[in-house]
Amino acid sequence: MTSLCLADAVTGRRVRITGVELEGEAVAWLGAVGLHEGEELVVLRRAALGGPLHVRTGGGGEFAVAREVALKIAVVVVEAVQAAGAEP
Amino acid sequence: MSETCHEPSGATKAKAKAKARAERGAGGGGAEGLTVALAGRPNSGKSSLYNALTGGDAHVGNYPGITVDILEGDVVLPSGARAVIADLPGFYSVEATVDKATDEGVARSFLDKLKDGGRPMVVVQVLDPTRLALGLRLTAELLRARVPLVMVLTHKDVLEREGHTVDVAALSGAVGAPVVLVNARDRATKAIVLAAVEDRHREGNDDQGNGTFDAARVAKKVVKDVGNATELRRRRMSERLDSVLLHPVVGPLLFVGIMALLFALVFLVADPATTLMDKLIGIARAQLTGVLGKNLLTSFLADGLLGGAGTVLAFMPQIVILTVALELLEASGYLARGAFLVDRLLRLLGLSGRSFLPLLMGHACAVPAIASTRIVRDPRERLTTILVLPLMTCSARLPTYGLVLATFFGHRSALFKALMFVGLYFAGILTALVASLVLRRTATKGKGLPLVMEIPAYRVPQARVVARKAGQAAKRFLRDVGTVIVAVSAVLWVLLTVPMPGSSAEPGIERSVAATIGRTVEPITRPAGFDWRIDVGLIGSFGAREVMVGTMGVIFGVENASDDPAPLTARLRDTKKADGTPVYTTRTGLALLAFFVLACQCMSTVAAIRRETGSWKWPAFVVAYTYALGYVAAVLVYQVSAVFGVG
Repeated sequence: MTSLCLADAVTGRRVRITGVELEGEAVAWLGAVGLHEGEELVVLRRAALGGPLHVRTGGGGEFAVAREVALKIAVVVVEAVQAAGAEP
Repeated sequence: MSETCHEPSGATKAKAKAKARAERGAGGGGAEGLTVALAGRPNSGKSSLYNALTGGDAHVGNYPGITVDILEGDVVLPSGARAVIADLPGFYSVEATVDKATDEGVARSFLDKLKDGGRPMVVVQVLDPTRLALGLRLTAELLRARVPLVMVLTHKDVLEREGHTVDVAALSGAVGAPVVLVNARDRATKAIVLAAVEDRHREGNDDQGNGTFDAARVAKKVVKDVGNATELRRRRMSERLDSVLLHPVVGPLLFVGIMALLFALVFLVADPATTLMDKLIGIARAQLTGVLGKNLLTSFLADGLLGGAGTVLAFMPQIVILTVALELLEASGYLARGAFLVDRLLRLLGLSGRSFLPLLMGHACAVPAIASTRIVRDPRERLTTILVLPLMTCSARLPTYGLVLATFFGHRSALFKALMFVGLYFAGILTALVASLVLRRTATKGKGLPLVMEIPAYRVPQARVVARKAGQAAKRFLRDVGTVIVAVSAVLWVLLTVPMPGSSAEPGIERSVAATIGRTVEPITRPAGFDWRIDVGLIGSFGAREVMVGTMGVIFGVENASDDPAPLTARLRDTKKADGTPVYTTRTGLALLAFFVLACQCMSTVAAIRRETGSWKWPAFVVAYTYALGYVAAVLVYQVSAVFGVG
């Protein structure tokens, strides 16, 4: 499995978070929100001009994640591109 | 979401209620005096449940050590004991480190104070069962904090529509806390939830779980698919909507279009309402004069009180339209998507998408919008948002905008005036964005926290909730702002009627206390085209800008009391200098608009900034920089428009 950052994940492809390279407090808060190690998610779309990513998590939540944060979230690809609307 | 200007001044009432509650708690056994804290993630359905439990009744609670408003409502439990439902701000965690000034910090302080104070309490955690795993993480934290917990799963109807069921018994067993599944719109919800609360209080929390379960695993175990076709259809519909509304090109264009439409709609309602009210006041004034004759009492009633009351009533439709529109946008899930769209732009200016919600709310009223900046986790970004919020065109500016447009652009088409109105809104937004850019490079310099924000599912807003919020906004406006306007108008009438002490000339408005003050200021404001009358209006509206039109009505009413009653717009146009040229021209109107777009003429906003920043430094800074900007802009507009040949 290839490791990459969330910011580089292909739209529609299911990935799993393997690590968050931010300071402890930020990692804890992201975890509380629903973005923690082991969580699976799908990038649904990207806003224009390097804006945030729209992701859906396995827990059922959808989030806007700034590209700066997505660059610090390491992921591995777990499944090829999905049909729109499918579970991550 | 949105509210009218100025907060309720119910502190004394709230203190009395708190005292009574404490006495009940001390003297009574059982559940008497119980505090039921509604907790949950943002968008979990907390507001709907609060409305279902309390019928929408809300007053500001008084909790020692909690400096922000916690709304609470009284309920009667099945045993007959009285309890209080406290509506906490949405929060994600009670363990992760957060700034105390944020929503999460407030909610956590509240729970800590209740626990430490030994007051009887039960925490009702509201969970969205369609996103159960996310909510269960907070459940685990609340259990670890050893608070008596009841879990309420709302959106039962949505869950069923999506083809899912939740095994409530299995969930309760796995987590170690009672669980109820309800639809907040059902009448039975209140009884079910309150019974569960009373049971939990009676039984205590000795048998509660310790919060060591795996949230994702539990959610997977208890949520069952009973036919996924509906859910797939909903997801596809949501996807289709998002593919348009969040499209990189179409999305931002639609967003700007929706905002412009909203602002234009406010004008299209405001314009005829203001004109109609002006005419009605003119008729009422004539009737009064006919009955009572021309004397001081008639002048006081017609010019002092009617003028002020007319402003209040003309203002009401705008407040209601704005409240309804913003509530619809928020409840439908669109506002969070707006934050997604504008995040990149706001990042360039040192803010983030999180600041978007308070900034948009500022178009109704800056006071609740300043309080809502608690959703911004980054302290520097939050301060910046607070400092630029007074530049957003709040609804208190609308009567003055309406008066100026009706006076100087009355002959133009409705479309032209609506476009000018929208332009004024965008002028405020643009100035706020530039101001935040400057502030983030100077006063609030530092690295910011990038956006991570939940995007809620699309929901159909509840008409009952929207209507209730509009009603509350109108009521609060009438009670808090209306009384101020009428009082200021009455005081101004006195100042315009009483001659300046030591004045040797014949009594009259020219020699009144107010006119003397206005004339003293006139040399400073003359470069902006303002005369003593406008200066008196500006001084009168220093504390509340919505007073401006009422004070102008009083000034011209008193000045022309001997003439036949005429609408204020006509009086403004017809006021002539000694040489017969008009005192007020289109240039004066434009300069006045420029001043009103920028100056922070609102003491409630100043008080809100003081409360949220804990210092007088920042409110003083806001008043200084916005007045300086307003003055410079008014002078520039007045002088430059002459160069372009504006009349």
